[in-house]
Amino acid sequence: MKFAEILRGPWTIAVYTYREGIRKKTLLGFLILSLLVIFGSRFISSFLDPSAETDIDVKLIKDICVSAISIFGMLITVFISASVVPGEVENKVIYTILSKPLRRWQYLLGKFLGAQLIIIVNLLLMGALFFFALYYYQHVWPTLLLWSILLTYFEFLIVSAFTFAVSCVSTSTVVPTIAGLFIYITGNLTEYLKDVQNRAGQTGQWLDALAGDIAKWLYEILPNLQNFSLKMQIVNGMPNDPPRDLQIPNLIIYGLEYGLAGFILSWLLFWRKEV
Amino acid sequence: MSTAVKTTKLSKIYEGALRGRDVHALKALDLEINEGEIFAYLGPNGSGKTTTIKIILGLLFPTSGSLEVFGAKNIHSAAVKRNIGYLPEGAYYPEFLRGEEVIEYYGKLYGLHGRDLKRRLDEVIDLVGLAHARKRLVRSYSKGMRQRVGLAQALISDPKLLILDEPTTGLDPIARKEIRDILANLRNAGKTLLISSHELLEAEMISDRAGILYEGVLQAEGRLDELLLQRDIALEVDGLTPELVEKSEAAGLRVEDRLGERGKLRAPEGLSAYDAIRRCGELGLKLVSVAPRRETLEELFVRVIGAAKTSRSA
Repeated sequence: MKFAEILRGPWTIAVYTYREGIRKKTLLGFLILSLLVIFGSRFISSFLDPSAETDIDVKLIKDICVSAISIFGMLITVFISASVVPGEVENKVIYTILSKPLRRWQYLLGKFLGAQLIIIVNLLLMGALFFFALYYYQHVWPTLLLWSILLTYFEFLIVSAFTFAVSCVSTSTVVPTIAGLFIYITGNLTEYLKDVQNRAGQTGQWLDALAGDIAKWLYEILPNLQNFSLKMQIVNGMPNDPPRDLQIPNLIIYGLEYGLAGFILSWLLFWRKEV
Repeated sequence: MSTAVKTTKLSKIYEGALRGRDVHALKALDLEINEGEIFAYLGPNGSGKTTTIKIILGLLFPTSGSLEVFGAKNIHSAAVKRNIGYLPEGAYYPEFLRGEEVIEYYGKLYGLHGRDLKRRLDEVIDLVGLAHARKRLVRSYSKGMRQRVGLAQALISDPKLLILDEPTTGLDPIARKEIRDILANLRNAGKTLLISSHELLEAEMISDRAGILYEGVLQAEGRLDELLLQRDIALEVDGLTPELVEKSEAAGLRVEDRLGERGKLRAPEGLSAYDAIRRCGELGLKLVSVAPRRETLEELFVRVIGAAKTSRSA
């Protein structure tokens, strides 16, 4: 079978998953929320002391905008990744699809790609809103925000892949949604694990040492999602600065590796699953 | 006649959380469905019908035994699956897609594209009577229309074997008749149909053969004309006066219905048609019609399941 033929099934599933997801109007809801955040941030900054730092209002607006992309984007990532497979199990659509001439990995790849298309489109639309909002406030093209959006996607890819893997063994969306939020939160707290590891062993007690070992182990395997954040640079720097102290290609590879690991895990969990 | 589906000693055990809580859904099932026939797969809830179907489709994995579809043992291969269309019971289809998009989607999963897909799409949409609503979102469809979408997606690849789980449940009488006609036409076109249903009257109307499953064991299987016993004889007579009603009953001819002097009599099981006619003559009744009455599929079902329950408790 030719490579293109093998990928035709997954691509078909991806396109129709995307098409259905887009029509659910969840995206529209998040875009409306984004608009509210833009106007809300302007409203909040109007309460600031005008005699204080001159650009503090712009910093606040940038902070709110970048945080909004991260939070809303993460929510839609977790929601979509947690629901694309269990939703089809629940309404029995999966029976009609897996009975077609299609391997299970092809089905999973299609659903996963469809979820990524929804996440990317959502991120681009929200990013575009904030991009033009920041340009409106500062009259400088905020190109740093574009780099941030790129890296944010790879952060979401990691969260999405592992949420998707959990969803493959779940019959409802509740457990994978909780798992997705857990992955996002712990992935942003891995630096604290480093602290725990460094401080462990000072009392000489075995429990203390064990906590250190566990922290070290978790630090090694958990993705560090803070690596993808350009928030401080965007808030404190010029909007058209190039990204500093980051090796973007390495981060992209890092995101792809974890994304692939999550997808392989989902396949391992799903390939003999009885539906 | 070649075999479309053949199971040999097929067993399925659903493992329970605790030892001893396992559920034996199928117990060494031997089943054969011939090409070009409509096979009614019957049984009460939980008898193992859906488990069998899911194993044929590769959605469940058998605990032991083997399965062949059109002679192929690898039922997961694309070549086998391309020949199977499946309509699950009570399935929903992507709600935010249009009817024709859903069917097109399934067509693409079968590997259809371009002109072939468009031609098949138009054909099956016309066949299931969805042309007027093909552009509407599935979420706006009635239950009957969703069932038509389900039938269309099962038919889009023009499969040789159609597996239909409760194809007419929840439909109004006209829609049922239309679906029945479609199924009969498919049989005439040489398709093999495996229909799992609780609608015994309908199953009897369209099926060639039937199998009755109970607790994972095939209790009866065969052609309907072999399975259904001839029960008794129905006679329609004229000249049935009130005095003759009593005499008929005394002669063993039960009066089922009477309007004026026209009446319907039922001869007891075991009495030949000749004897029944002779008794009518002796009573002075004018015979209008005689019809042997066959056991219905429902009666067969009750008889077979009843016997299975009795033998289990014995």
